[in-house]
Amino acid sequence: MSLEKVIFGFFVLLAATLNFGFFIGDMSDPSLHNVYELFAAVVVSLIATVLKFGDRTQIGAVHLATSLVADLQLIAAALVWAYATQISSGGMDGAEMASVVSLSGGALLANLVSVVLLVIETVSFHRR
Amino acid sequence: MAGSALRAWRRLVRGDDQATRRGSQRAARPRGRVSFARSAETSSTIFLILRRMRAPLIVLIAIFAVSVLGLTLIPGRDEAGQTTRMGFFDAFYFMSYTATTIGYGEIPQPFTGAQRLWVMATIYLTVVGWAYAIGSLLTLLQDRAFRHALGLQRFTRTVARLREPFLLIVGYGQTGQLLGRSLDALGRRFVVLDVSGERVDMLDVDPYHADVPGLAADAGDPRALTVAGLEHPRCEGVLALTDDDEVNLVVAMTAALLRPNLPVIARTASPAIERRMRAFGSPAVVNPFDRFGDHLRLALRSPASYRLMSWLEDGPGARLPDGGRPPAGGRWVVCGYGRFGKMLAADLRAEGLQVVVIDPRADAAPGPEVLVGDASEPAVMARAELGDAVGFVAGTDNDTTNLSLIAAARSLNPALFVASRQNRPTSAPLFAAMKVDRLLVPTETVAREIYAQLSTPLLWRFLRDMPARGDDWAAAMIERLTRHCGHRLGALWKIALTSGDAPALEPYVRAGEATVGDLLRSPDNRDRPIAAVPLLLQRGAENILGPDDDVTLAPGDQILFAGRPWAHRSLLDTMSHHAAGEYVLTGRTVPSGWLWQRVTGRMPRNR
Repeated sequence: MSLEKVIFGFFVLLAATLNFGFFIGDMSDPSLHNVYELFAAVVVSLIATVLKFGDRTQIGAVHLATSLVADLQLIAAALVWAYATQISSGGMDGAEMASVVSLSGGALLANLVSVVLLVIETVSFHRR
Repeated sequence: MAGSALRAWRRLVRGDDQATRRGSQRAARPRGRVSFARSAETSSTIFLILRRMRAPLIVLIAIFAVSVLGLTLIPGRDEAGQTTRMGFFDAFYFMSYTATTIGYGEIPQPFTGAQRLWVMATIYLTVVGWAYAIGSLLTLLQDRAFRHALGLQRFTRTVARLREPFLLIVGYGQTGQLLGRSLDALGRRFVVLDVSGERVDMLDVDPYHADVPGLAADAGDPRALTVAGLEHPRCEGVLALTDDDEVNLVVAMTAALLRPNLPVIARTASPAIERRMRAFGSPAVVNPFDRFGDHLRLALRSPASYRLMSWLEDGPGARLPDGGRPPAGGRWVVCGYGRFGKMLAADLRAEGLQVVVIDPRADAAPGPEVLVGDASEPAVMARAELGDAVGFVAGTDNDTTNLSLIAAARSLNPALFVASRQNRPTSAPLFAAMKVDRLLVPTETVAREIYAQLSTPLLWRFLRDMPARGDDWAAAMIERLTRHCGHRLGALWKIALTSGDAPALEPYVRAGEATVGDLLRSPDNRDRPIAAVPLLLQRGAENILGPDDDVTLAPGDQILFAGRPWAHRSLLDTMSHHAAGEYVLTGRTVPSGWLWQRVTGRMPRNR
């Protein structure tokens, strides 16, 4: 067992689970989506991205690409959230919340691909 | 990075990954050449560096996350005294300017004690985080491996972008530098590969007209040769000039295997290596010791041929060397029986001369003619009986020893003919002051020989075939050259009798009515010759040395001339100007303008 693999798998999986936790629930209901969870998802996703730096294999490259997509989606969600709470006159309403959650839903898809890749990598490692 | 990103994008757009691309490249090469992945070395270093930035970046992200989270969790108080919590937006804003040491103050309201306590901790944490990240980045930029990777990438790009034919010079020592300067003066492009980074750095200092890409790498590694452009379609030749025979052999071998038809010129001092080089293709091998021996034999056998050869090899502007000849009969003493001494002694013996060798090592070659001992000791020198010897060769690989040997030998017999070997360029003034009769400077010999081969191949053919013509022929040629051009060698140039280069002469040459002598008439007054001497006429595979005036010209002939620069211009007039060509060949004066040709009815035949 390699500690590096444990940390790597932990962060990839945690990014996906946090993202899922934030995403689940009625899209337009702000009370069902905790902003702390979004924050945690952004941070863990960033860390997972950095962990994927410098892998020369093909699967490593796809890993990095999915993480970058997830980062992009989550940061966009955070920006929309910041706009809704700080700048928009209407405050956080249903439409704004829906767009935050749908953006994080896109990130969730990317994170799921990441997890699938992780599983593929693990399975093919055992076969070798 | 931008270049690789662009390449990556192109690969993506074209829809083929690296593996299939490499496969298609290999398939496109009909001769089954092996190709090396060019950028493998570069990218691995960059990946390593990315990997090394992982820890600082994660630390930074973690510190930020913890600080922001803490700020949002710790209760604050608003103007009304109500307990309130900072939002993520404000917390991130606050941490951003605090962590980067900008510090706008406490927002949106003055902090409570608990908040200040937390902020105090985070300030120290974030400063450490930033310092760690920026420090790591700067260390990476200074990193040798990283800089080397960047340099290699730039070099690879420069070589790949070369659109002119270029030579690959492997080994940038004295020979490489001498040759580089001459090639640059000729307007030839080249790429340098040397194992020493210092020598490659000298490329920046050397005053070259063209940009010369240089790479510090082991030339014994085929990948380094590939990166330096061995497989580049514009690479027109490889020069293996390192002072290590083994490396030169590897270079010649690699070039022969990867680019079978590429011309290779290799330097070596050992006949064994030369044989091994010739096992791969047909490289031109230059052995300075061998050349010196050949020259000395030529000088012994036919002094005029040697004189003509050294005059022409010295290049434009050289004075006619003195006609002194080494003593053809008598006993020679050779000090130092290494590769040079052995080769020279064999050459001298082949000329029927008696040779005595002095060498400190007993195992060099036992025999009656070998004296074992240190030549600098008077007793050993006395045994060589220099008093009745005619020639003395100081051929050790140490300049100080050679100089003191010459001094000792001259004190015993001032009339000796002295030949020596100069190993380091810094010793040149000392050898010049000693007035040595024949001096071998291996690096210069190699550079001159290769220059003759590359710059004017016709001259090289002339020099190769000339000794066979004999001493009287060479003396006559020297006489002819001095009569036309004086005692200082003028320019050397080549003309080709093609329709492109010599349109004015074409009909006459085609009809077989033009001779070499006609070409040498002046376009101003055809009864006067121009100051040029034809050295060599090449017709297909046939070489005519010093063609006489009555040799008939044929289309496609190439002629090498030596003479004054203005003679070159006159010859160009004759070749390209219709009226001038007509006058020179037939004596008819025709108007050069269209109108007067119509009015007078005198049309040039070659129009």
